[in-house]
Amino acid sequence: MINCSAIGDALFTKTQQRVLGILYGKPEQTYYLNEIVRLAAVGKGTVNRELEKLCSAGLLTVSRQGNQNHYQANPNNPIFNELKAITQKTFGIVDIIKTALTPLLPQLSCAFIYGSIAHGTDHAGSDIDLMLVGDEISYGEVMGLLPPAEKQLGRTINPTMYTVAEFNDRKANHQPFIKRVMEQPKLWLFGDNEPSNKQD
Amino acid sequence: MEVLDNLVKIKELNREPPNQVEFDGMILAATTKLHDVKLQGLSSDSQFSLAYSAAHALALAALRWHGYRSDKRYIVFQCLQHTLCLENAKWRVLDQCHKRRNLAEYEGHLEIDAQLLKELIALANEMLGRVKALGSIQGKSGA
Repeated sequence: MINCSAIGDALFTKTQQRVLGILYGKPEQTYYLNEIVRLAAVGKGTVNRELEKLCSAGLLTVSRQGNQNHYQANPNNPIFNELKAITQKTFGIVDIIKTALTPLLPQLSCAFIYGSIAHGTDHAGSDIDLMLVGDEISYGEVMGLLPPAEKQLGRTINPTMYTVAEFNDRKANHQPFIKRVMEQPKLWLFGDNEPSNKQD
Repeated sequence: MEVLDNLVKIKELNREPPNQVEFDGMILAATTKLHDVKLQGLSSDSQFSLAYSAAHALALAALRWHGYRSDKRYIVFQCLQHTLCLENAKWRVLDQCHKRRNLAEYEGHLEIDAQLLKELIALANEMLGRVKALGSIQGKSGA
C-alpha cells in the first residue's frame, strides 16, 4: 500500500506540513500566529517565515484584528481545492487519525472517514464521521485513543464500528445507512482494497 | 463542586438540592430497565433504548446527588467524569450512544452495532454500582 505520509514528506517540509495541516485542515477558520505556533509545535521564527511565504504566494490571507495578524487559507487561490485535498490525504486529518489508531491496526479490516469532511462540505464546527470495520475492537478503547487527534484537529470524532461480518451483512442487505455511506465520497485510512469492496 | 459550579455560571447546569425520594426512584427505574434488558426475545433497538435510558437515569441521579440538574442529556453524560469519576473514554461512549439516538430521531430508525450495545449495557451496570456507592443523601459529607 502506498504510504501517504511519504508523499507528504516528498512534497513538503515538516514545517510546511504542520502549517498547511492547520490552515488547510480547517480552511474556514482564522488563526493568529501564537495559535499556529502552539498547534504546530514548531519555533515562532520558522512558522513566521513560512506564513510570510504562503501569504505572498496567495495561498493564505492575512488580516489584522486588534494587535494580532489572523491567517486563513485563501479560498480564491487557483489550487485551493487541490491543496486542501492533498493536505487531508497526506499529512492532515487522515494521517493524524491513522497515527492515533495505530494500536488497533492488527484488528482493523478497513477504516475511513465519511460525511461532510469527506464530501468537502464541512464547516469549522463539523464533526468527523469515522467508520471502523474490524473484529474485537471496543468503543471504550477507541474513545481512549482519539482525544489527542481530536485536540490536534480541533474537531470531535464520532466513530461507528462494525465487525467484518456485521459490515458485510449490512452491505449485502443494502441496509440504508451503509448503502448511503458506501455511495458517498470517503477518505480512506486503512484497507481501501478490502475484499467486501470488490463485490460492488 | 467547583467544575460543576462553573457550568452553572454558563447556564449549562442548574443548582437544585438533592431529594432522596427522587434519587431512589431513579435508581429503581434504572434497575428495572437493566433487568428488562436481559429479557429473551427483545430486539436490539429495544435493548438499546432500555440500556440508554437506564444510563441516563443513573447519570442524572449522580448529578442530582451532587445537587445539580440539567435537561441537556449530553451535559448530564459529560458531568459523569466529575459526578461518578468515570474515565473520559467511558462517558465518551455514552456520548456516542446519545448521538446515535438523536440521529435515529431524524432518520426514523436506529442503527446500532452489537459492540456499542454490549458496551452500553456493561457501562450502565457499572454506573448502577457507582451510583449506589454514593450512599444516601442525608449521609453525604462535604456536599
